[in-house]
Amino acid sequence: MSKAKMTPREKNETMWSWIFIAPTMIGLIVLNIIPIFQTIYQSFFKTGDFGKGNKFVGLANYQKVFGDTEVWQSLWNTVKYAIVEVPISIVIALVLAVFLNKKLKGREVFRTIMFLPMIVAPAAIAMVWKWLYNSNFGLINNIFGIKVNWISNPDIAIYSIAVIGIWGVIGYNMVLFLAGLQEVPGDYYEAAALDGATGISQFFHITVPLISPTIFFVLVTRVIGAMQVFDLIYMIIDYNNPALKKTESLVYLFYKYSFEQSKKGYGATVIVVLLAVIMVLTVFQLIAQKKWVHYD
Amino acid sequence: MKRKIISNTIIYIILILFAFTMLVPFVWMVLTAFKTTAETMQVDPFVLVPKVWQVENFSKVIAAMDFVKLYANTILMIALRVLCAVVTATFAGYAFARLNFKGKNFMFGIVLFQMMIPVQIFIIPQYIMVSKLHITNSPLGLLFPGLVTAFGTFLLRQAYMGLPKDLEEAARLDGCNIPQTFLFVMAPLAKSSMVALSIFTAVFAYKDLMWPMIVCPNPKKTTLAAALANMNGQYAQKYPELMMAALISCVPMIILYVIFQKQFIEGIATSGGKL
Amino acid sequence: MKKKVIAVLLSAITAMSLIGCGSSASDAPAEPAKEEAPAAEEAPAAEEEAEPESIGSSVEGELTVTIWDEGQRPGLQQIVDEWSAQSGVKATINVVDWNSYWTLLEAGATGGELPDVFWMHSNVAQQYMENDMLLDMTDRIAASDKIDLANYYGGIVNLYQSDGKQYAIPKDIDTIALWYNKTIFDEMGVAYPDETWTWDTFAEAAKKLTNDEHWGYAIQPGNNQEGFYNTIYSMGGYVISDDKKTSGFDDPNTIKAMELFTNMIAEGSCPDLATVSETAPNELLCAGKVAMSINGSWMLAGYRDNEYAAANCDVAVLPYTNDPSDRVSIYNGLGWAAAANGKNIDAAWSLIEYLGSKEAQLKQAELGVTMSAYEGTSDAWVNSVDCFDLNGHMKMLDAKLVFRPYSRVTTVWEDMMTEKLKEAWTGDKATADVCKDIAAEMNAALAEE
Repeated sequence: MSKAKMTPREKNETMWSWIFIAPTMIGLIVLNIIPIFQTIYQSFFKTGDFGKGNKFVGLANYQKVFGDTEVWQSLWNTVKYAIVEVPISIVIALVLAVFLNKKLKGREVFRTIMFLPMIVAPAAIAMVWKWLYNSNFGLINNIFGIKVNWISNPDIAIYSIAVIGIWGVIGYNMVLFLAGLQEVPGDYYEAAALDGATGISQFFHITVPLISPTIFFVLVTRVIGAMQVFDLIYMIIDYNNPALKKTESLVYLFYKYSFEQSKKGYGATVIVVLLAVIMVLTVFQLIAQKKWVHYD
Repeated sequence: MKRKIISNTIIYIILILFAFTMLVPFVWMVLTAFKTTAETMQVDPFVLVPKVWQVENFSKVIAAMDFVKLYANTILMIALRVLCAVVTATFAGYAFARLNFKGKNFMFGIVLFQMMIPVQIFIIPQYIMVSKLHITNSPLGLLFPGLVTAFGTFLLRQAYMGLPKDLEEAARLDGCNIPQTFLFVMAPLAKSSMVALSIFTAVFAYKDLMWPMIVCPNPKKTTLAAALANMNGQYAQKYPELMMAALISCVPMIILYVIFQKQFIEGIATSGGKL
Repeated sequence: MKKKVIAVLLSAITAMSLIGCGSSASDAPAEPAKEEAPAAEEAPAAEEEAEPESIGSSVEGELTVTIWDEGQRPGLQQIVDEWSAQSGVKATINVVDWNSYWTLLEAGATGGELPDVFWMHSNVAQQYMENDMLLDMTDRIAASDKIDLANYYGGIVNLYQSDGKQYAIPKDIDTIALWYNKTIFDEMGVAYPDETWTWDTFAEAAKKLTNDEHWGYAIQPGNNQEGFYNTIYSMGGYVISDDKKTSGFDDPNTIKAMELFTNMIAEGSCPDLATVSETAPNELLCAGKVAMSINGSWMLAGYRDNEYAAANCDVAVLPYTNDPSDRVSIYNGLGWAAAANGKNIDAAWSLIEYLGSKEAQLKQAELGVTMSAYEGTSDAWVNSVDCFDLNGHMKMLDAKLVFRPYSRVTTVWEDMMTEKLKEAWTGDKATADVCKDIAAEMNAALAEE
């Protein structure tokens, strides 16, 4: 790190570098970095009518958040959603990916079908599932001759929504796992087959360790994604649904406070809490990965 | 050998079961879209297939919602976002991968940092900016958060890092300066990553719900996703209409997907897998 | 190998984020504050700019009219088109669902981009008027030969007044009535509802009309105007005191009224909350799943356009409690408002002036859009359809009209009430206790206003 003068070539390179990165960096700073601080700043204010006359309230919003059972409940709902959606979607996707990695007839067709939900707007997905779940006229209850309030029973609604989440994300995870599997050299399996390992033990002893970096990546990104669940809940749970309080997520609360009730200060506080939770979860996963992720 | 047949059979059964589960909602959407409201509320006997296919549901929904306009809005937003993402990320990704300059690590740190933050934290300030710029209910407002992309920058950087160094050397010996080397030699080689980024950007822009709901509440100026959400509130329980709207909104996307499925899947796989 | 990048990346990011927050937090407050200041000045500036533009008689582009009820759109568009034919200015109606509507207005008000013409509602009118978001129409009304505020129902005119200024022209008035399925009544051998019904008759009939196929009555848990508010006032209770300072939810009569409904759910003559939250009562009525539904006159278009309802349903007055004089209809009326800083204020006013004129108000009634706020036009509305005897709604105009309870921030305590009542509907908590909880929270909310 000497302060020696740059050669003209280095100067030229520096100049072009800054020209190349300028649009991106200016954009990121204006659109993302500054807004982070603005959001944190806003969380110390009580919002006035139509965004005018905001009042500085110090930590009052945070005090309110910590005493607000609705926020805690929504955090718990979000966690419940993530606990169901993330592991189940990963396990199913992994199994399907292993199957589709074999030389099977029609595997392209299966892959295409599994990936289908990924390219449909969540709003459309939510509408269809809301209809499938309808307790009186829905397909599920009528086909199986049962009477379950899938989306209005407070005890099960969040899990019903997690099922939609799983359904929607399996294809995406699967495609990522398939890409990971393609990098696993075939000779590992040949050696294992010679040792007499069965398919199932191959799966646990070869496949899983070898693609553990991909699993880890999917896990980290899906946890972040699941903690931000909003679309499905917003679309499916009406405001007079008895399960509302047991399904609304932190992002849903953020939307409700910030844009429906226009209490942007309190909304900002809620989202700062979510940021903190996600940070903690990610750090935790980074520490835990040392125990199970194998890099070759 | 026999064991292999059995295990393959089990695998097929599982695959078919899941494929079936993936398809049922779509089939049900199509069937409901052509029923009468009365049919959808018939429990005994439970109606699976519409007695008369209500084609006029289509015109009913088209009359209530201007899908042509919604499609135009959505496509315009996607095109703008893809364009911005690819252009800015191609330049920045190259600089981060291949050029040396002071502050590079710090700047790249910002890129990585942005990728880890939940997007909702940016929304209120971004929304305030958009409303101060008076571009709410406009394509520019829809584009706004997609002007630049940290993820794309990272993706393209990875792509350039994987390219051999000697090409650049050769270009430089031929007398190319930095922008020439970049434009004529390196950028063309990162094409597949640009395609991947385009598809990734397009799919997620199409699926985005909260941002268009906030900046484009005007149902004529908004995207398909937000218009569907609006309709969901509007039509409450008129499921044939709702399903028809859902169908209209996703059929073109599904057709595109079936035609370009290889590019779709690989685009998503490489953008996810590159990390 | 490249997967290793992930680990490095994630650790780097986390480290970064911690440093990032720490070092830059100190200068954070200054940044947004700077941005806040010019914005406040910007708004009036934009207003001045817009003003001279709109003075010219030629209006560029078209007016945006935003409403929340799809059922009313076709009829209203027809009326608006007539105005366009006269004025030469195009105007299109956008429909946004109720929740998004208020998000849209809020966003528009904050960003200075309200629609040109839109509906105003008692819930938030005060807030919008106090913050000068709505066009002050006082002088324009005085100068107009089409608008005379004396022609409209007084309660609605007053609603859109603040500091002696008028901010909206009344659009409609609504009454609440009892919609019922004649076929189910015939089938179960119950006499159709009429003027002699009391709320007790109603509850008993609901019981008789319930079997495995259908329920007697379905409540709207989220829409108090189309349900328990009528009963509360009919039974002598109240929701909010006249000075808007205290809640009436702990009033014994209010509780009695609420218990009428919670008992019906408990007995099974009204579907449980889960059912009505998934399928609204009017849909249940249209599907033959429920014999009675209490609805506002604005629902007419929906019922008229539904084949089943048109063939099987009709409408009667609401029941009373002790004496026909305590028959209550909770009424409300929307107003046509315009943005204070709109680009085409003159055109917007011209449209609103037309919409408020006797001609357009009569047309609105004739087309069956809604009952109009212009007094003496409701006969036209009654005659707008053949399939129902709308006298049920019409006669409610002679009942005790109680304006829909509101305060400055109605939604705050209304949302709370909807949420708390869920416990009463499900039977998880005694209705009386829930009502007392609501009263306590509502009093706290009112004290903050």
